[in-house]
Amino acid sequence: MRKNELDEMQVQKRNRIGNQAFMLLFYLLIIDIGLYGFGFKWLKYPTNVFIIMLSCMTYYLVRIIWNNAYIGPKAANKLSGKKVIFIVAIAMAISAMIIFISKKNFIKTQPIDGSDNGALILFVFSSVSLVIALIVSIISKRQNKDEEK
Amino acid sequence: MAKNLKLKSSRAAKDMSQKDLADAIGVTRQTINAIENGDYNPSINLCIAICKKLGKTLDQIFWEDDENA
Repeated sequence: MRKNELDEMQVQKRNRIGNQAFMLLFYLLIIDIGLYGFGFKWLKYPTNVFIIMLSCMTYYLVRIIWNNAYIGPKAANKLSGKKVIFIVAIAMAISAMIIFISKKNFIKTQPIDGSDNGALILFVFSSVSLVIALIVSIISKRQNKDEEK
Repeated sequence: MAKNLKLKSSRAAKDMSQKDLADAIGVTRQTINAIENGDYNPSINLCIAICKKLGKTLDQIFWEDDENA
């Protein structure tokens, strides 16, 4: 049996939230295509796609954590706040190291179309998403303690 | 959906918290809370698991009273 197996209510919630996130992603991409057709470019490719995808993933992640559908009943007792903080810190450190190494080793060129900021935006968005997920997780744990009668 | 007070009273009679019951049958405390508050309809397998743990029949816990029907 997997350690993170969700119970039936968690599976239902996660499926519902996943469907909504998918539809949100679909409609945002469609709107972006429509705006592009009218000549409105809010961001250059591929940054615009990155932003939309990361927004939808952040929405999905935050909602499943908020609705207690992220970790199963068996894993919930083992995961502590310190572990989450540690994982987040490791993820941020790895992202920063990758960006630093790639900037140091690759030839620096002037960006022609200004789309070189994709990696930086990706890092910033990922970091912000992880921090939001951490905060939501901590708040959810405190709420759960208050709800129990 | 109406609250399931029978579940709550059966659990209390066994001196079990929501967390105790949830851990015993392998679900989260929030699921037990949602069932008791009438916010979630459990599957038949989950109903049976709850009844076995509390030593009651399905009718005794999950059958609706005439007032709530």
